[in-house]
Amino acid sequence: MKSWLSRRNLLSRLSIAAAGLLAASAARSAKAAVQKVFASSGAPRGYDPAMHKWRMAIDANRCIGCGLCAEACKKENHVPEGQYFRTWIERYIIAKPKPGSGEARGETLVDSPSGGMHGFPESIVPNAEIQHSFFVPKLCNLCEHSPCVQVCPVGATFDAPDGTVLIDPKYCIGCGFCIQACPYGCRFLSPVTKTAEKCTLCYHRITRGLKPACVEVCPTQARVFGDLMNPVADDPLQQFYQNNLVQALKPHLGTKPRVFYAGIDKEVR
Amino acid sequence: MSRLFRMPPQVFRIFLLALGIVVVYSIARYFLTPDSFGEYGWYRGEALAELAKREPVYAGKAACAECHSDEYQALVKHEHKTLSCESCHGTGQAHADNPDVKMEMLNYGHCVRCHQASPSRPKWLKQIASKAHYAGSKCTECHVPHSPTEVP
Repeated sequence: MKSWLSRRNLLSRLSIAAAGLLAASAARSAKAAVQKVFASSGAPRGYDPAMHKWRMAIDANRCIGCGLCAEACKKENHVPEGQYFRTWIERYIIAKPKPGSGEARGETLVDSPSGGMHGFPESIVPNAEIQHSFFVPKLCNLCEHSPCVQVCPVGATFDAPDGTVLIDPKYCIGCGFCIQACPYGCRFLSPVTKTAEKCTLCYHRITRGLKPACVEVCPTQARVFGDLMNPVADDPLQQFYQNNLVQALKPHLGTKPRVFYAGIDKEVR
Repeated sequence: MSRLFRMPPQVFRIFLLALGIVVVYSIARYFLTPDSFGEYGWYRGEALAELAKREPVYAGKAACAECHSDEYQALVKHEHKTLSCESCHGTGQAHADNPDVKMEMLNYGHCVRCHQASPSRPKWLKQIASKAHYAGSKCTECHVPHSPTEVP
């Protein structure tokens, strides 16, 4: 019987092992080459999404409807021209009830001309007939149970560990399912890139330690932004939670929005 | 082995075809799945860094204060302390990177953008009916925007 250590046997085994190693390294370098073409970007790392929990909050009592946030968002994120918005302001006008109608309130009118980014014209309801009127800034609600993430067929939209819901533009195929799924109307199909777009909480700003553009320019601090994991001194977000009774939009849908609102009426959806 | 060959040939061919599909799929999956897929969840982890890579357009109040500390100090002592410089002066990152790049020119329509009287605005905000308030066009004839409670 031949020993397994015979020269012929040993040489053949060694050559098989060497061929295997060569094949594995060739496959790995081939994969790297393929990745370079399809996906890899060599983007800088260094920001750890597990160390942050970003949150936005809206104090509607403080919103004056100047539209600076909607305008800043367009500029900061290069949002396409026209009726495309990542954040916008809605004006709610609740009319007085008709005398003798027995109603508590009249009709509710909601408008948002150009997302409110150029301010608001005078309302079509005369001032004397207005019972209540107020502004509500809107943006992606950054849901914990996002319908948009559930319906995406290619894993292009996702819930990042830092509390943002983001879109991978390289994976998005522009099918538009997420746009239909979002109950808050926060997404649109970009006519430029043909992919879905929405508020990213200015991801390129918050990862650099800056505030989102809308929060930066808001003159009244109606928009509040902070990090639950790293609160600063007099953290505006903690103060918002302490000083207000907060609510979320469309809570009955079970989407669990991370964006909380203070001072909004029952008519706000 | 001899048992396998006793299998009817058409069944054996289907079996081979299925095996081939699985092999091709596995090879394609190996080459086409990005390395960072599954790093944080069922998506490409590198997308986070790619989204973070874009350059800001608004510089932030702290960047303005580095050079314009006098204006900054005047601003934070008065009613307009909650405003950012860029609320009125426009985008500032290009100017912060290169001071030769000028900021946007201000126009006086900017004051009434916030202060024009409207029934939709909250009561705590100082509001004016601009035409009745002053017939001229320059708010700065009477008001100092950085310290609005002062009279020049």
